[in-house]
Amino acid sequence: MIVKGLLYTKDHEWAKVEGDIATVGITDHAQDQLGELTFVELPETGKEVRQKGELGVVESSKAASDVYAPVAGKITEVNKELENKPELINQDCYGAGWICKIQITDKASINNLMDAARYGEYLKGL
Amino acid sequence: MAEKQTEGAFVFEPADGTPEGSILYREHLKLTEKSHFAEFAGYLMPLWYSSIAAEHAAVRERAGIFDCTHMGVLEVMGGEAENFLNALTTNNVSALRKGAAQYSYILDAAGNVLDDIIVYRRAEDKSAGQMADKFMVVVNAANEPKVKAYLAAVQAGKAAIDLSRPERCLAKAGVRDMRGAVGGPDCRVDIALQGPASPDVLCKLGTDEVKKRVGTLKSFQFFEEKLAGIRCIISQTGYTGAKVGYELFVNPDSAADLWWRLLDAGKDTGVVPCGLGARDSLRIEAGLPLYGHELAGQHNISPFEAGYGWAVKLDKEFFIGKAAMGTASQSFTMKVARIEISGEKGVRPVRQKDAVISNGACIGWVLSCAKAGNRQIALVYVEKDKVAEGDSVGFYYLARSESHKSRGRKQTVERGEKVKPDVEGKTVGRFEKF
Repeated sequence: MIVKGLLYTKDHEWAKVEGDIATVGITDHAQDQLGELTFVELPETGKEVRQKGELGVVESSKAASDVYAPVAGKITEVNKELENKPELINQDCYGAGWICKIQITDKASINNLMDAARYGEYLKGL
Repeated sequence: MAEKQTEGAFVFEPADGTPEGSILYREHLKLTEKSHFAEFAGYLMPLWYSSIAAEHAAVRERAGIFDCTHMGVLEVMGGEAENFLNALTTNNVSALRKGAAQYSYILDAAGNVLDDIIVYRRAEDKSAGQMADKFMVVVNAANEPKVKAYLAAVQAGKAAIDLSRPERCLAKAGVRDMRGAVGGPDCRVDIALQGPASPDVLCKLGTDEVKKRVGTLKSFQFFEEKLAGIRCIISQTGYTGAKVGYELFVNPDSAADLWWRLLDAGKDTGVVPCGLGARDSLRIEAGLPLYGHELAGQHNISPFEAGYGWAVKLDKEFFIGKAAMGTASQSFTMKVARIEISGEKGVRPVRQKDAVISNGACIGWVLSCAKAGNRQIALVYVEKDKVAEGDSVGFYYLARSESHKSRGRKQTVERGEKVKPDVEGKTVGRFEKF
């Protein structure tokens, strides 16, 4: 499943940009590949990240996978609920399974991201 | 055994190949998405159909069906078959009666484990002529090319047999690939049906003889009968730790038919198809070794360290690798142990190679770990005398990401190295049945 209006990375993160805030998570393709998530390592609030910098780690019983920042900025909020309910990412990766919010410092970094249509094409090519 | 032994070692370079689907590939595509497939031993197979946890639970509570058609199935026959297998494998083949099976090992002359196998005796008649004795040998899919090459080398006199008696050669027996390209009615591939509801499924599909025999069949016994009109070898063996479970060896031409008949007959009781993920988590939970992880592999783990010394019969007159096994049985200082850790949500999963900590120092490493319900079960390779059932041990998580590394988290931990554990576990029995 791909949601229109979101922006996507080749590493299967999504960003929903509203003003200068991007809400960030991993895509349906990513959660499906990982299987049932059992652990999410969240970034620290206040931390500055560059685009493609490490945000955290999501782990299932089969694999541990890095999550990278789709945009450059400062972490303003993290989804604490994931600490005890990592399955929210499996159940609702574009909604309740969001990982963090980033205050975008480099607006131009958004231009590197794919829209839903291009991400769909990208997935087909994998 | 730590160091891999080289003198008398059998060296095999596997060919690179593109992964192919198992013979049930098309059936799997009807049951799950292609993105759930992964490569295993050169085959593309589903990791899961619905979810690993759901399939794992189904096998514990009801039953699950597994595509094991990638497993190697060999036939050894002829008047010398028993002598040949007694020399080739570590367990006592002469103790096997018709309809019984045994767990065993194939070693090279240096004592390296080439594979762990199950030997089935299908016919027993040494007096009645050449082809009367008949065995089926099931080998790991990942090791099948190596085992076949080894058997060919042994039979051609091109592999070391006995380092102290180089002139020794083995009795001649007929060896045939039962899955192989040759085809024919005698070919067999493996489909497993595991879990408490499996006898019901067999009784629904089986002849009166099946209904009669299933109830009394014991572990490592088998018989040959029809299920849904399909000729099968029905064996009470498996790789899930289920007290009741079967492996069904069926002609490849009928495998898809049997697959659907089993699913259909088990529909009412909630029998589900299970992928490689649940196969792995079930065998880990039960403490069963996987070649390359709890056996052989990076640490060259011997059968004695793995907890299977009973399958190496040092009182047999001869088997390939016996001298090395004699030494290995006396001198081992490491062992495989089974540890239970909390598997609650929010507990970072323990992974292969994470360090096992006792009294503040590393005593070994994780070989495999899986989630099973609310617990994680880790199979670990640890100093033999440092851990007993009931003991607490710690685990140190190796770096999972670049930022872990930059914050000083280690990428490897050596034995004896002092590190602080991140999570605690408790040593439980080496094996568990469900």
